[in-house]
Amino acid sequence: MIEVKGVSYSYSGVTALRDINLRINKGEAIAFMGPNGSGKSTLLKLINGIISPDRGIYTFNDEEITRKKLADNKFAKHFHQQIGFVFQNSDTQLFCADVFDEIAFGPRQMGLNETEVETRVNDCLNLLDIQDFKDRPPYHLSGGEKRKVAIACVLSLNPEVLVLDEPLSGLDPRTQRWLVEFLVHLNKSGKTIITSTHDLALVHEISNRAILFDESHTIAADMPSSNLLEDIELLKRVNLVDLHYHN
Amino acid sequence: MDNRETEIIDIPQWLLRDQQYNPQSDRDTFINKSILSLLAVLSRIKARSTGKAKKYSVQAAFKVACTLVLVVLLSLSGNFTFVIIINVYLLAVLSSMEAKEIVKILKISCATAFFTFIILVPAVLWGNTYSSIMITSKVFATVTAVSILSHSTKWTDITSALKRFFVPDIFILVLDITLKYIVMLGDFALNMFYALKLRSVGRNRSKYTALSGIAGTLFIKSKEMAEEMYYAMECRGFTGEYHVYSNFKFTIADFAYIVIHIEIFILFLYVGRT
Repeated sequence: MIEVKGVSYSYSGVTALRDINLRINKGEAIAFMGPNGSGKSTLLKLINGIISPDRGIYTFNDEEITRKKLADNKFAKHFHQQIGFVFQNSDTQLFCADVFDEIAFGPRQMGLNETEVETRVNDCLNLLDIQDFKDRPPYHLSGGEKRKVAIACVLSLNPEVLVLDEPLSGLDPRTQRWLVEFLVHLNKSGKTIITSTHDLALVHEISNRAILFDESHTIAADMPSSNLLEDIELLKRVNLVDLHYHN
Repeated sequence: MDNRETEIIDIPQWLLRDQQYNPQSDRDTFINKSILSLLAVLSRIKARSTGKAKKYSVQAAFKVACTLVLVVLLSLSGNFTFVIIINVYLLAVLSSMEAKEIVKILKISCATAFFTFIILVPAVLWGNTYSSIMITSKVFATVTAVSILSHSTKWTDITSALKRFFVPDIFILVLDITLKYIVMLGDFALNMFYALKLRSVGRNRSKYTALSGIAGTLFIKSKEMAEEMYYAMECRGFTGEYHVYSNFKFTIADFAYIVIHIEIFILFLYVGRT
């Protein structure tokens, strides 16, 4: 479904990704892990077509995604409908007057009739348990509520792949637990889930495969998430845990 | 992923089906243009905030003062030879900079001089050729001098240098914060445009509503950030007074720089005034 071959990317000469090779199959739940600045968010941006690789090939559903193709209006819109991106900072994702309009933004653009739009919005509101906020402006919500609205906005497009940049950060334990359960359900219902996270305790719950980045911006390991915590030496080597860390 | 039982969540049927969707074409150039222009501004600010102090090691305060004096002398001068000498001096300074910066500065200086000359074409036609060339040369020199200053000095150093000219510390603080928040809010706006682009998957009939939403959110965000920063400053003992400190060391480079500008001033006194 998603294939990244020999991809490198740099921001004004500063390397963010170096020779990344990766294949993600439909229905997988993947977690990108690694220390800050190792390139996780950059790869998520690349997968979502926000940036294009300096070198290498990115393929989605057997079609190479290039800057030229993304410049084609229709192609880009279809591509963005298939991959939904939940930003790390939910504030950046919310710009409509109220939560209902925010969730309806995508479906309305897709040309669905208003009844269908309403059904989708209400389903998303129920699914994320945010029915009470539907008439409230998004900027008046708490961090966890904003995160839920941001996820609802993306889900209403019914993407094949859901990409979440550090979805658990800044949430209270209860909301974290709820979100983990929710992502498990979405994955079981057939959605491909790609997340970036630092949460070692929850990574085996939100993913079945972990991809570990190191500080040289390459992939240090690609392994089942359940095995990740057992390899403490590896976690120490990539600077994800401190020297005194133990299970 | 765990195989343990989780709380039952009813996933709606439409979310379980593959979305059959054939998007309509729509004009959304404004999103791409906004992204590109924001990226350009942010990368320019970031580039000018890093990595210059070592190469051009003259104190920012001297650079600001001498550039100011140079601009004043240029505008007061009525002597073409003086203006040409200053132009040659500035081009010599420019040649010591990196190729990329030389191109950038020359582009700005030449474009400004060219448009000045276009405006002065009627004067040339009326026979005031000397004055027109003089003004064009002065514009070229002034823009080059200011561009060299801005390209060779970190903005934070320029604001700190203002302290030497008895600019109130609180004013310098406001300038510093402004620069910082242009970058932070710029990054925030850029991410909002990315989000808008990713969610613009079809025909948007009210593009400007989304744009006004972005502007509104940015305003709220900037207000929140300003409040939070003020509270944080209060917690750190801020009582309305702000002191700018700088490590001032007089170097040989500073000495040479000042000597050159004193010579320019003497040159102005002898030949530049007429």
